[in-house]
Amino acid sequence: MKYFLITAALLLSTGLFTQAQELYVFTEPASNMAAKSIGVRVTNEGIFKGNKMNRTIPEVMLSFNKNLMTHVQGFFSDMDGKYRLEGGSIYAKYRFMSVDGTQRHLRAAAFGRLSTSKRPVYTEDINLEGDNSGIQGGIVVTQLLHKLALSGTVAYNKAFVSDSRKIPGMLQADQLISYSLSSGYLVLPVVYKNYNQPNFNVYFEMLGKTNPENGHTYVDFAPAVQTIINSRTRIDLGYRFQVAGDMPGRYNRNMYLIRAEFNFFNVLK
Amino acid sequence: MKTLSYFIILSAILISSTSFAQQITKAEVQVNGLTCSMCSRATETSLKSLGFIDSVTPDLNRNVFVLAFKKDQPVDMDQIRDKVQDAGFSIGDLSATMNFSNTTVDAEGIAKADGNVYQFTNAKSKTLDGPVTAKVLDKDFISAAAFKKRAAELKSPAYLTGKGVVGGKETRIFHLSI
Repeated sequence: MKYFLITAALLLSTGLFTQAQELYVFTEPASNMAAKSIGVRVTNEGIFKGNKMNRTIPEVMLSFNKNLMTHVQGFFSDMDGKYRLEGGSIYAKYRFMSVDGTQRHLRAAAFGRLSTSKRPVYTEDINLEGDNSGIQGGIVVTQLLHKLALSGTVAYNKAFVSDSRKIPGMLQADQLISYSLSSGYLVLPVVYKNYNQPNFNVYFEMLGKTNPENGHTYVDFAPAVQTIINSRTRIDLGYRFQVAGDMPGRYNRNMYLIRAEFNFFNVLK
Repeated sequence: MKTLSYFIILSAILISSTSFAQQITKAEVQVNGLTCSMCSRATETSLKSLGFIDSVTPDLNRNVFVLAFKKDQPVDMDQIRDKVQDAGFSIGDLSATMNFSNTTVDAEGIAKADGNVYQFTNAKSKTLDGPVTAKVLDKDFISAAAFKKRAAELKSPAYLTGKGVVGGKETRIFHLSI
């Protein structure tokens, strides 16, 4: 009932402001950063599982040309006791389709990720942003329609599970299909005057994973708000929670996220 | 004799200094696929990296950038297209203000000015003088759908490639409508 009310409120609010953008908080769009630009992000995840745990993700994004960009991330957390560096990840995205119109576009991109993590494997819920070592490959399609942006992602995730990190008695799985549907709406400014006007975007994302071996599935809802300052600095605040299905022992079923991102356009030679 | 040599030197200076007169003075570029100010800012920064651009004035609501050019440097419209694409977007419309001085458009609609070759789609056998606003019709200067439609109308290999043989040499040809 509680989830139903939250969902209804979210749907109502997205219906009321019918505007959004594609700088999604929990997923990436098919569009890339401008060529030869650098972005720097710091993300903090607050995970509620028994007690509260924190993960910090510093991240650097580089765009080599209009079609190819990469993210390099580090993962720090106190999830296994002391706050420590637990791993890192490299993500690359190649935009292979781009159809532009006036204030609209359709883009498609392929992406891949290679991750490492020192964490023991507690759950079949593969999370390549901190919890697991592994690889990921997928496709993302994003449609922008003026102030509304819609995006869908499908990916295959394969974890590298070494015997030394297995926890006895835990259900082990080394592959997952992940998928998401994301929507975003530009709420403010209603009319642009200059670059210094703050932008305000609202997002609603649905994030799901399925284990193809046993059919275990979950779906999370993830609302978020975002402000963009000086057309360069981005601040995200989001929350994700499980609404359907489950996977035993999963970490991010109840998680908030706060992020700051700084962009430096056209600085690479 | 001395006077004559001064005269020769002076005329040589005058001739060389007038051999390049900025012909494209202004361009209005409408960029497709944009809606957020961060994307506009990235596009503007990308355009500003071109040495021949003097200033970029954005109209954020119409996604139009008004470009002013430096007087002493040639404008390369292909580089403008590349910079917009680098930012992740594409040109929907580019209208350039060109300053012609008694430039002849021949019977085929071709004109040469400042080292550029222009193929006019709607002007032939006339002389252009003074400022003229021309829309560039080449690929990636208009939407993909508009280009396809034009290509079917014009049925010209030079339009499809943006290149043709002029004076025995393969040359970039800009297709313009005025």
